[in-house]
Parts: sequence; C-alpha cells; structure tokens
Amino acid sequence: MGMKSIQLSENPIISAKALTKIYPRGREQVRALDNADFEIQSGEFVAIIGPSGAGKSTLLHMVGCMDAPTSGTLTLFGQAAERMTERQRTRLRRERIGFVFQHFGLIPTLSVAENISLPTLFARRKAGHRAEELLTAVGLSHRRDHRPHELSGGEMQRVAIARALMNNPELILADEPTGNLDAATGEAIVDLFARLNREGLTVLVITHNPRLAAAAHRCIELVDGRVKRASASESLAYSAPFFCNWLVRRSFNVIR
Amino acid sequence: MTWLKLAFKEWRRRPLRTAVTTAGVAIATAALFSLLAFQKGYRNGVQEELDRLGAHVLLVPKGCPYDAASMALHGASWPCYLEQRYLGEVRTVPEVATVAPVFMTALDAPGSKQIVYVGVESNILALRPAWRIRGTFPNHTDELLVGAEIAGRNGWELGQQVSLPGLGNRFGRISGVVAPTQTADDSFIHLRLEDAQRRFNHPGQFTHILVRLRNPNDLDKAVAQLRGCDAGLSMNVIPLAHLFKTIQSLVNSTRLLLGCIAAVALLIAGAGVANTILVAVAERQRELGMMRAVGASRSDVFRLVWLETIQTCFAGGLAGIAISFLASRGVETWVRSMLPFGPSGSMIHWEWGTVTICLLCALILGSLAGLLPASRAAAVPPMMTIRGDGGWA
Repeated sequence: MGMKSIQLSENPIISAKALTKIYPRGREQVRALDNADFEIQSGEFVAIIGPSGAGKSTLLHMVGCMDAPTSGTLTLFGQAAERMTERQRTRLRRERIGFVFQHFGLIPTLSVAENISLPTLFARRKAGHRAEELLTAVGLSHRRDHRPHELSGGEMQRVAIARALMNNPELILADEPTGNLDAATGEAIVDLFARLNREGLTVLVITHNPRLAAAAHRCIELVDGRVKRASASESLAYSAPFFCNWLVRRSFNVIR
Repeated sequence: MTWLKLAFKEWRRRPLRTAVTTAGVAIATAALFSLLAFQKGYRNGVQEELDRLGAHVLLVPKGCPYDAASMALHGASWPCYLEQRYLGEVRTVPEVATVAPVFMTALDAPGSKQIVYVGVESNILALRPAWRIRGTFPNHTDELLVGAEIAGRNGWELGQQVSLPGLGNRFGRISGVVAPTQTADDSFIHLRLEDAQRRFNHPGQFTHILVRLRNPNDLDKAVAQLRGCDAGLSMNVIPLAHLFKTIQSLVNSTRLLLGCIAAVALLIAGAGVANTILVAVAERQRELGMMRAVGASRSDVFRLVWLETIQTCFAGGLAGIAISFLASRGVETWVRSMLPFGPSGSMIHWEWGTVTICLLCALILGSLAGLLPASRAAAVPPMMTIRGDGGWA
C-alpha cells in the first residue's frame, strides 16, 4: 500500500454541484441522484463505488453526456452540461471522452481492428497507424483480424479499451470494466487502467472490484443517490488505496 | 473503415434473414425488369417482322386478321384462299405500286420441323430489298430459292437437285440461296407461284397478297378503295401500321395489369425490408447506443441503418436482374403461348437503360423502406448501451 503522488491541475474537468436526476416510474418519481457534489481533476483516477441502485450508472450517464440532469449543475471541461446541445454532447463524447463498458460493446460482425477504428469513422478521421499502435499497446496485434467471438473476455475488454482510446480522449469512463472477467483477467485490466492513468489520462470507473478501487487515487461512495463519502483530492497522496479498499468491502457488505 | 463497409458487414449477422429479405426485392425487381424488357422486345420484334414483309397492306381471306398476319409471317397451311380475279381489282387501285401474290403451305416432313413452301412471283424482290441471293430467283419450273437455315440443315448446295421434303419423290433444283436474314425466311423454300399452285393443287388461288403503296401516307385512302371494291367483300384488308397499333394496344392493356402486379410486388418487398430492418434495429439497441456513446451522432446512426436498407434493396435489384436474365427463355416461352401474335425473334430485349431503371427503382425502394427503421435507430439514446437488456449478438 504505497504512497501515491500525482500532479493535479487547478481546474477540475468534472464539477458537480447539487446534481440531481429524477426518473419517473409510473406515478412515482425516483431520485437516482440526489444533490451530489464532487469534483474530478485532470489526471485523476477515481473509482465510484456503492451498492446496486445507488445511482452509479446515472452518474456515469451524466458525466458521459448521455443524459441531462434534472437539477443542479454539471460542468464538463469547463462547459455547463445542462446547457449543451445534442450536437455539443455528441462532439464531447466523440472527442474528449472514451467509454468502456462491462459488456465490452464490441460489434460482432467487425474484426478487432475494425472495432478499434470505429470511433474514427464517426469523427470523420482516418484510422491510420493509430489502430495498430493501440493494438500493440493492449497486446493484441496478433488478434487484429479476429472477430469478438474468437476472443476471451479479457481480450475483448482490452479491445474495448483500445477503442475508447482511438480518438485520443482526455477522460476514460468505465462502467464495471472487470465485472464480466475472472480475477486474473480483471487484474490485467486494472493494471492497464493504472498504466493509462500514469500516462496522463483521467480515469473514472464504476466498480465493485476492490482491486480496481484500490488502484484508484480516490473513491466516491454513492448510497441512495447521495455522495456518502469521498476521499478528498488533497489527501490523495496517502489515503486513497486504503480508503477505497475499506469502502468497497463495506459496499459488498451492504449488498449482502 | 467506411460507412458502406460498416453497413455491408451487417449482412454477416443474420445471413439467412438478409437473404430472404433480399430475395423478396429480387423477385419484385425481376418482375419489373422482365416486364420492361418484354415491352421493348415485343415492340421491336413486331415492328421488325411487319417491316420484313415489305408491304403496307396485307390482303388475306376472311377470318382473324392476327392469325392471318401470324401465318403470313411465320409460315403455315392456310385454311382458305383468295381467287386470281381479286388480283386484277387490287392492281387497279391507283395508290398501289406493287402487288405480290403469295401461295403458302406447310408440310410435315419426317424427322424435321414443318417445311414451309412459299410460291411467289419475282416482284416479291421489290418487297425484300434486304435479301442477298447467291444464285438467281427461280425462273424455270421446279427451281427453288431456299433460306440459309434450311439449306444448311439439309446440306443443299447451289445447283443441286434435291428431294423436296414432305413431297415424296418430287425433286427441285436449287437456283438460289438467300443469305441469313435472322427471320422466318431463313427456313422457307420459295418457288415460282405457278409451280406452288400446281404442286399443291390450288391453281389460280393465293393464300395472301402483299401490297406496297407508292406513298405510305396514302394508306387510309388505299385501304378504303381496297375495301370498297368487289374483291374487298371476300377478303380482309389489313393495313400493317394499324395492325401494329392494335397489337400494341392489346399488349399495353396486359402490360398495365402486369405493371400493377410488379408495383404491388415492389411495395410488398419494401414493406418486408422495412419490417426486417425494424426488427434488426430493435435487436441492436445496445449496439446502436454504444455507437452513440463513442461519438456517433443521430444522423450517423440514421445514415448507417439507411445504408444497410439501401444496400439490401440494391443487392436485391441486382439479383432480380440476374434472375431475369437466367429465366428469360422460360418467361418468353410462357408469354409467347399467351399472345395472339408473337414475333419469331426474341421478345425479351434488355438494354442498359432498363437495367438502370430497375436499379433506380430498387434504390428508391430501399431509400423509402429505410426511413422508418433509420429514424427509430437514430432515436436510440446512448445510455441504451448500459441500460438495454440485449443487443450484443
């Protein structure tokens, strides 16, 4: 459990104040997020933890510009998310955010290389050598022409991570990236996220995996849509791994 | 990676379903292509056949004019005859330039298809300017002018004395061979008119008379005079231009019906395509959501699904045209059996314009059929990739 020291910028790339999301469910209204306040600095590796139904995915939707908040403010890369047009949100997702999903989200009819190149099609850019570089970076050069069903779970997730990196994003959003993987494969993915973060990427993961949470600089715990506990960025240098481990174990206990 | 390639790759997902959907479009396009090709081919064929007669007016015994025209063009045994005396009356009409009486009969020859004998006078040459004769027109008794096809089939040479097929021990001498014309003439045996009348026991009788006018613009006037003379009461006066129009109008009415059927088939195929793509969109909600999440705009997703639909229809169009080509012989045989008058040449005439029209129809069909599924796909929110229940095949 060594000390972690990172360089943080002064301006947060994600800033949420009283962030609230209410979904209608029949005649009821469900507060999926309830006055959540948090900030994430550029270069951070943050894990969002909490039991199922705590609002983790809703938070990811907001931060990933997939959904708009009901109230409160959310600032992404200096822009107010609630005032963004559909086109601006799409551009932000395309150019500044990379997504990694629990179920990988690979297109079964495309090869590994084609799956990785997909975001460049939407960005109207040529894939060039970038896809090959990423294939090499995630150790899948030998699998470039394989289709997803020919890969193991870990390989599929590495392809998904490579795809998320294709347009050189500043932020990686990962939704339980180790959720469908065995422990050993999950370890490799944790290491990969840690490496990407060391190379300068901001990483925000939703996870139940203590190992992944421990690799983060800090954790944000959500319970019933509220930020129950968060290690402050100022104390990152000494507290994150221990604190996150403790929170994840606690979350598991809540689930049980 | 290109949009077209990405759309094309979708075919891999459900190849059987895609193939069945494409087959629907292919059948509809094949119907449309066959109809257009038939329309063109039939029109050209009839026009060419009537032109080949070299006459403006055909005089035949009373009866069905279409049957008579078909017999005159393709060769047959005639059930009734015109009399010698009609000839004089026809020649008195001032607008008439050439009067070519013809005696035609067809015989069954063992081991061969029907042999058509055509008795003509030398003035028939004025009506057949395209004939290239090796040798001479029959000038003497029992001389024969034979078509290239029958000469080749029987191994006949110029000047050779040959046994006349279907006539037992009768002989004739080949005085001339007509170079191939790609018409029924290629299989006819021409002989002098009086020889034909004598051999087939109809002296002084004809099966039909070909009339060429000095000026085709006088057709109506000439026809009125021919119908008004005494002989006109005993024969059908068929202006070939009118015959062509009548045949065309008969075929057009059938074509309209077939056209409606082809249009309905296209609409049904389009509905099938739209339904299939809608189902595919419903199955791919998470995948489409993922595309939105990784940067695809609504219009990108719309474009992708729209392209998939258009590709399916375009492929169906291509397949339909290929099916039409492969089935053209069978379709032609079937259509020929249904028509009162069919030209002897091919009735299916395709050209690049027809291919283009059919492919355009398939593209338009795909464009329209793809609108609803593409709109549905474009409306899939990006968070569907996390929230959706299915989608990753």
